[in-house]
Amino acid sequence: MNQYRDPPPLENSTNLTQGHKSLGFDFRGDGMEYFKIWIVNILLTILTLGIYSAWATVRNKRYFYSNLYLDTDNFRYLADPITILKGRLIALAALIAYYVVGVFAPIFSAGLAIILFFFIPFFFNRSVAFTNRMSSYKNIQFRFKGSYGQAFMVIYIWPMLGILTLGILYPLALLKANEYYVRNSSYGTSHFDFKATYKDYGIIFLTALGILLIGGLLSYGVTQLDPSFVMISPIVFIALYFALIVYSIVSFSNLYYSSLSLVDHKFDSSLKFSALAKVILINLLLTIITFGLYLPAAKVRMTKYICSALLLHTAGSLDEFSAAEKQNIGALGEELGQAFDFT
Amino acid sequence: MLIEGIYLDGKTAKRQGARLEINNDHKITHIHLTEQQQILSFERQYYAIEPRLGNTSREISFEDDQLFVCDHCDEIDKLRSWQTSHLSSRNSWLYYLENNLKLICLSTIFTVIFLYGIVAFGIPHTARIMAHNVPYFTSERLVSSLDVLDKTVFKASKLSPQRQQEIRNLVSPYLLNHESVNPKLVFRSGMKANALALPNGVIVFTDDFVNLTQSNDELISILFHELGHLKHKHMTQRIIQDAMLTIIVVFLTGDVETFDLLTGLPTLLLDLAYSREFETEADTYALTLLGKHNISLRSFADAMTNLENYYIHEGVGESSTTMSEFFSTHPKTSKRIKLVEGFEN
Repeated sequence: MNQYRDPPPLENSTNLTQGHKSLGFDFRGDGMEYFKIWIVNILLTILTLGIYSAWATVRNKRYFYSNLYLDTDNFRYLADPITILKGRLIALAALIAYYVVGVFAPIFSAGLAIILFFFIPFFFNRSVAFTNRMSSYKNIQFRFKGSYGQAFMVIYIWPMLGILTLGILYPLALLKANEYYVRNSSYGTSHFDFKATYKDYGIIFLTALGILLIGGLLSYGVTQLDPSFVMISPIVFIALYFALIVYSIVSFSNLYYSSLSLVDHKFDSSLKFSALAKVILINLLLTIITFGLYLPAAKVRMTKYICSALLLHTAGSLDEFSAAEKQNIGALGEELGQAFDFT
Repeated sequence: MLIEGIYLDGKTAKRQGARLEINNDHKITHIHLTEQQQILSFERQYYAIEPRLGNTSREISFEDDQLFVCDHCDEIDKLRSWQTSHLSSRNSWLYYLENNLKLICLSTIFTVIFLYGIVAFGIPHTARIMAHNVPYFTSERLVSSLDVLDKTVFKASKLSPQRQQEIRNLVSPYLLNHESVNPKLVFRSGMKANALALPNGVIVFTDDFVNLTQSNDELISILFHELGHLKHKHMTQRIIQDAMLTIIVVFLTGDVETFDLLTGLPTLLLDLAYSREFETEADTYALTLLGKHNISLRSFADAMTNLENYYIHEGVGESSTTMSEFFSTHPKTSKRIKLVEGFEN
């Protein structure tokens, strides 16, 4: 535990980022410390009837960003709680307006739903742009610039094609969504890239289907041989379901990060099924025993494990990145992005 | 005073070893870049010291996105305390709260008790008041009514028209008694033995259920149970409760992204607990009504026993462990029969 408490002195490591190196991600948060921040957040949120929740969100996010280190530097979360509060008030007002219209003029609510349908890609872009701009590493902000048309394809058309083809094109929908998000994201002026194929995603889907089929057939076979097996079959199904979830998280995350690159720097991820299953099971057990009080520590444990499996293979120095031009986004644009926070 | 740290100019990602110089008036004057032998002047510049948060590095941001980062928390806190803006004192108060063990213990206990109160009393009570004040037409629209169920699950009833008419005649005086909830009895098949009440007043008896009952009194006792659901607007209440629960969980965990297995499970268990409470309430309503109409309370217990035997026979019978009750929408049959016995005395 103590190794996280004392980060190495910042001054001595300027040369580490030169040349080809593999840099690890490291989450230096601590479960107990985050619990204290979390419980104070809840207390103040209750006492202020929910208004403090905007400040609570910023403090939570700052804790997780500031404790996330790549090499010698940490990430930062920059959002202003007031922006978030305004965004939430806008969202709340919109929701109430929608319900009121629904009660007094049901015909218009259908119209509103259609308008909302076409606005969602726009809101999605705004929201991702907000989150990226509010994140920085080494004092350089991230950016996102997506087009409405592409967002519309990724949110509606590709998933719909996936369903219409009975899932055959569904891996493609997932691939397109990741491509859209990553290729329109940048760190300062440098763009991210995403190189994965339909086959990569398809194999994961097929394997998941295989696990499901083999597990189902096996338990069916055993039931035929010994009917008393029915008694424990719910447990078998829960275990199978759990294994599928863990398998999907592990494979999709590993694929995502190993397909991700920033200029010539390549990311890599080596999450393991058994290790992640262990983390999730411990978290689940302790959270249930403590009636939810373990939740913040569970989040820390999860983040720690995932970060420990991430690597960045650098080609050259990380000092070379430069900041993007300043963006003057109107206050309302920023708040709208926050109000419909989909990420 | 000099504070060792790192300087980032906000234009490139290059980190530079630096020393922050603070003069005797407790103002930041210069940043010395140690490697470049360069001195940057910050006199009369606006700067913001980020509030302390756990063990994270301390940051001071200057104009034009310049940033100074260091690990010397105490020195930076001193610098902050010398600045007299009320904003900084508010934020150190937060850090003080977060590191006061007594306060943490107290607020943990307070939060747990408060949340228990909300979940056990606040939510059900608010939902009850709201459900009884929602205009009739919205409660009808809130839940997919019979049409949707007809398209998805239900098939036409195979009971003979005579039998259907017989039951309709049997229940019509009781339905007339409940005009306020606008009850209407329909018969359907396509589902195992079951009786359900939709929020717009439609009560559905499935064929299997009708065939299962051995007396008219049993049918009536179940009808009373469903009328209890309608009278108390349980469906509407449950929707409102679920919405409130979700909002609270999202508030507590901070964001929607953590809304996964970990937070989903307690939400589900609470929803089921609410559901069991409604069943008991409807049972009580039915038993009271049976007493009023001088119908034997035994008929309700018999109907329950019949249903349980039927479900055990169908292979979906509940195992009798206490654990399984937490995962059930209805109370255990033995408990419901105990309720009947309690009423009889």
